[in-house]
Amino acid sequence: MDVSIVQIALVFVVTFIAAIDQFDFLESLYQPIVTGAVIGAILGDLNTGLVVGGTYQLMTIGNMPIGGAQPPNAVIGGIMAAIFACSLDMDPNVAVATAIPFALLGQYGVTLFFTLRAPLLEFFRGCAEKADTKGITKWTIVSECILGLIFAVIVTLFFIGGLAVGQQIVDSIPEWLNTGLSQAGNMMKFVGFAILLKIMMNRDMWGFFFMGFGLALIASNIEAIAGPALLILTFIGFGIAFWDFQQQTELKGAVSDGGDFEDGI
Amino acid sequence: MASNEFVVPERYEDLTPAPNVDQKTLNRMALRSCWLQSSFNYETMQSGGWLFAMIPGLEKVHTNKKDLAASMYHNLDFINTHPFLVTFVMGIVLSLEQNKVDTQTIRAVRISAASPLGGIGDALFWLTLVPITAGITSNMAIDGNVVAPIIFLIVFNVAQFACRFGLMNWSYKVGTSAIDALTANMQAFTRAASILGVFVVGCLTVTMGATQINLTIPNGTTRGLSAQTIVVSNEDAENFADLAIDTETAEAGAMGVTDPDGNPLTAADAEGNAVETGIVDLGNGMSSVTYGTVTETPVEYSVASTLDSVLPKLVPLCLVLLLYFLFAKHNFTPIKGIVLLLAIGIIGALPFINLWG
Repeated sequence: MDVSIVQIALVFVVTFIAAIDQFDFLESLYQPIVTGAVIGAILGDLNTGLVVGGTYQLMTIGNMPIGGAQPPNAVIGGIMAAIFACSLDMDPNVAVATAIPFALLGQYGVTLFFTLRAPLLEFFRGCAEKADTKGITKWTIVSECILGLIFAVIVTLFFIGGLAVGQQIVDSIPEWLNTGLSQAGNMMKFVGFAILLKIMMNRDMWGFFFMGFGLALIASNIEAIAGPALLILTFIGFGIAFWDFQQQTELKGAVSDGGDFEDGI
Repeated sequence: MASNEFVVPERYEDLTPAPNVDQKTLNRMALRSCWLQSSFNYETMQSGGWLFAMIPGLEKVHTNKKDLAASMYHNLDFINTHPFLVTFVMGIVLSLEQNKVDTQTIRAVRISAASPLGGIGDALFWLTLVPITAGITSNMAIDGNVVAPIIFLIVFNVAQFACRFGLMNWSYKVGTSAIDALTANMQAFTRAASILGVFVVGCLTVTMGATQINLTIPNGTTRGLSAQTIVVSNEDAENFADLAIDTETAEAGAMGVTDPDGNPLTAADAEGNAVETGIVDLGNGMSSVTYGTVTETPVEYSVASTLDSVLPKLVPLCLVLLLYFLFAKHNFTPIKGIVLLLAIGIIGALPFINLWG
């Protein structure tokens, strides 16, 4: 099927918005049920778009970004499925299946992007030091535009180049580099943890850190409570902290009450 | 990149509590909270977007520019919470900022309040609201109904914004009314908040730490004898009778019914039970022959299972402690920590090291 410049431009814009929306803004525009219909309308086949979007959406239920895990990317997957179905006349189910490798590629891309975006935070810190609130806004916009552009460029390339381009890109990244970057990304949260510890820690506190660690090990290995483990653990931690607070404040009260006590006798 | 790390003061310069912020500011914060993950990254996760959302309130309560800088800087700490419930944390943190509580307390309260919300929000939104609304509307869409996406968007966003605005107002009210009781015992409160804070970071090390050394080291082979039973005619069975092997020296794949002295061998059948080899005449001209085949299985020493038997999640714990040590004692900047982890990740993945399996 011939595509016009206008259609390519519209797919670019839709992907740009959906890419940003998958993490921010309404966090619902990016869902395949929406993008399927929109892409279908752009490519002149709204009905097929609806069907593909619905099909893809049903597949992604239960494949949500839970607990910070990155599922196969629904933005690239949903949009590519709609493109395949509408422009190559694929059966909706085949189109969804064909789009899965692209969704996996998107998942890789997002993991990689989140790893490489960490240094951007230095610009935020620089603005914070100068109390530059406008700077924070500026870098927020820059950060979002980078994300949107990466997705939009990739999807547009796939749209024009078709399946062959996607496979070539996947093949050109060495496996070990992929593993290394995703492992590094996996570890980066430890930097955040360590900074928090540095602020809150003193010699009295190590016991509470290890208690949290130990209780979390137990809780996360009990299947029935592994899901809400963190909430349950926070209740326990709150109880300990609250008890400590009462101890500390009552101790203070006891000192001043001492006089009254002697008077009583 | 700043070479000297900015130091957040323990206390703000201006310690006069600021007046309550107006409704307009709270609304702006709730709207800005939509961009919580705008600079999501694996180091501090949502911190950039969190600061972006907090700014309208911070500007109102910190009129001293130095205080505003300090506040903005420490609001870039690691944070990972649920995007739709984040305003609950924002309201509480704003009430603390407004009362000029010690920065350490604010930081400890923020991580403790934010972290457990992730699970609640996932259960409410991704596991309940989305499956139900998307499930119903997807089937409508497959039938070609154009309003399906629109219904989905309306239901989802009404729920989302009700959460954002409702929690913002409610938690700010709760925070500002509870603060007087807490500030009367500030030291004890800071201590209690830090206890909960380090406790939660200890928990997060387990629940979010997935790094594991999946290295396997070849560690020789074990020899075994696996039993097979076949039924053959009596004449063929005689050919088996003198199949003798020395199980200690025979090559892998060698078959035998007896050892060199003519005694039966003990082999393991498919289920791992020990069986004796030998020939049993079935009486109908056929014999059942049980023979043993020498097997050689490579033994691999798994680093991961050894580490797990010492302490599960040992690798995340060590990395957190290492980074803490580098930050606290060696004035490492966060960016140096990131570079270190990138190097560990990539070097560990090199084909001849293959630390990650």
